[in-house]
Amino acid sequence: MTEVMIKVEKIYKYYRLGKLGSGRMREDFSNWWTRTMRKGREEQTVSRDAGRFCALRDISFEVVRGEVLGIIGHNGAGKSTLLKIISRITAPSSGCIMGNGSVASLLEVGTGFHGELTGRENIFLNGHILGMKKREIAARFDEIVDFSGVEEFIDTPVKRYSSGMYTRLAFAVAAHMEPEILIVDEVLAVGDAEFQRKCIGKMREVASNKGKTILFVSHNMQALQNLCHRVITLEKGEIADMGDPEAVIGAYLKGAKKSNMVAREYETPESGPGNDAIRIKKVALVPEYLPGQQVIDIRTPFTIRFEFWHQDPVPGSLVVSVYLFNMAGECIFDVCSEGLEGVHGLIEGDCRIPGNFLNDGAYYFSMSFVKNANKRLFYFEACLSFDVEDYRRNISWYGKWMGYVRPAFPVNLFPKKI
Amino acid sequence: MQTQTSWKWKIEAHTRWFQWNLREVWQYKDLLRRLVRRDLIASYQQTVLGPLWIFVQPVLTTIVYWLIFSKIARIPTDGIPPALFYLPGIIIWNYFSDCLNGTMYTFLHNSATFSKVYFPRLIVPLSIITSHAVRMSVQMVLFIGVYAFYLFVAGNVRPSFYILLLPFLILLTAGFSLGAGLIISVITAKYRDLDYALQFVLRLFMFATPVVYPTSIVPLKYRFVFWLNPLTPVIETFRMAFFSSGVVHFGYLFISLLSVAALLVTGVTLFKKRELNVMDII
Repeated sequence: MTEVMIKVEKIYKYYRLGKLGSGRMREDFSNWWTRTMRKGREEQTVSRDAGRFCALRDISFEVVRGEVLGIIGHNGAGKSTLLKIISRITAPSSGCIMGNGSVASLLEVGTGFHGELTGRENIFLNGHILGMKKREIAARFDEIVDFSGVEEFIDTPVKRYSSGMYTRLAFAVAAHMEPEILIVDEVLAVGDAEFQRKCIGKMREVASNKGKTILFVSHNMQALQNLCHRVITLEKGEIADMGDPEAVIGAYLKGAKKSNMVAREYETPESGPGNDAIRIKKVALVPEYLPGQQVIDIRTPFTIRFEFWHQDPVPGSLVVSVYLFNMAGECIFDVCSEGLEGVHGLIEGDCRIPGNFLNDGAYYFSMSFVKNANKRLFYFEACLSFDVEDYRRNISWYGKWMGYVRPAFPVNLFPKKI
Repeated sequence: MQTQTSWKWKIEAHTRWFQWNLREVWQYKDLLRRLVRRDLIASYQQTVLGPLWIFVQPVLTTIVYWLIFSKIARIPTDGIPPALFYLPGIIIWNYFSDCLNGTMYTFLHNSATFSKVYFPRLIVPLSIITSHAVRMSVQMVLFIGVYAFYLFVAGNVRPSFYILLLPFLILLTAGFSLGAGLIISVITAKYRDLDYALQFVLRLFMFATPVVYPTSIVPLKYRFVFWLNPLTPVIETFRMAFFSSGVVHFGYLFISLLSVAALLVTGVTLFKKRELNVMDII
């Protein structure tokens, strides 16, 4: 079990920024001319560093046979760059990678598919592009067609396929590769629920039965936790954490929480956001964790608590609304208080969102303060942001759960006696 | 962890010069065959004439050349029937320019595939020259047909033993276009300017090649420079082989071979050295 399959040693990757490498000969020539004429001067080193962006910095790790290694990190942390380097799509700026065994990388399904060709032709074309031999494909041809479920259309040009059929056929080819090392990017993030279930199922099968070595990049923490033996966190191009999936993922999620705005408090009315009519003193998100919980997941109830100064002289009733949006900016709900008449000064309020209600994802709250149902005194945009993590028990499905909300409404089954 | 000294593969920041790895290319021969097939199938989908288009182009070109260069400009064809005289030049020239035009865009046209999956990139230009070779062979059949007519019916041409050189002539043309195409593909990936310049140069280059005229009309003092064009001895030898007219200069043929070999070595070396780095600038 200790045979090292991939050894990554001190990988650095720089990208040139801005005007350099703009693709026009004249500019490159004048750059070169400037550099040559000023040889030895300090500008050279300055421009060299300023013009480069370090995507990966000093990455070293090893993967042993049969290990499933997960890679997590925020967008732009360098995950995809790392996979591209290991897949030999782009070269590292320095460092080296050594490997022991055939590699197949699945950074996309259906690479090289040609619309004019039939499904049959494309299975072979795509298979060869992924590095399969003719007899390997021929031997698994029926299996591939069967898995894809497009038998009837196998001799139709794929440009006539629906996008679902196209993806299924493409994935079917990829799923029947037999490499010793498999590199998978977030291809699982696309496609319908059925497709995702198949993908994860196939990966699980490959990882457990066949002792394949897998490198797996995903945002799907649940899938990572279940499939991986070890997880690496990349942060700004560096390895921030590496080890046991549960510990690493837990730490990563906790780190991600820090960037969220879960509480704001302002000491004096002048310093808070607002205007002459409304001044915010405090907004906070207070979760009610279950024992042992550290992050908000779909089960966690929480309360928004807020305090504000009401100084609008116009008489009438004040209504406070709370809006919840997902990160796509779609409004999940809009709830409001009852009208409060003739009260000025500091006012406190809260709104409790029950557990088992929101789906997993990133959300933000906005609030509005309305006088007499027609005059908006203040709109406090995106005052709080937070993430709801996924939680599943006894469910062997790891795809993204559908829907805006995820209530725990029971679905009952009653076997009938005949 | 045990230390291992033998690795099956290694990726480094810089590929060494002359690391061609042709064995790996050979391992991907199935892909090469499939890409050729794809090119041939896909190019004639949804066309009425289908593969007949392979014939249409040389036939129409021959007719146009006949009208313009033979009837109007009255450029001599060394006593050979014009239809027959133009075909070898057209076939060889088309093969060369199709290959060059295909291979020089290796990176630009395949960047979507190249940025997602690894295979030896050399497979793509090789598949291009192979699929054009298939088209060219079909055109050769057309030529042989026309030739047979003049040989047996009209009886005003006769073949020579140089016919045996034909495969070599075709390989020279393929090598020339591949070598040049590989070099240009690496450069155009970064400098798009070259693209425009080349289309122009290619058009002029056709007139520096004896496609529409025999070498005999080139003034003596320019002849040396003229024959340095690797395609000149190729086309002249081709004509000599089938028409027994013109000249075969083995010296120039050898120079052509040397320059093509140099071009190929430079092309493959540059291509292998840059194939990964190019992906960052495309």
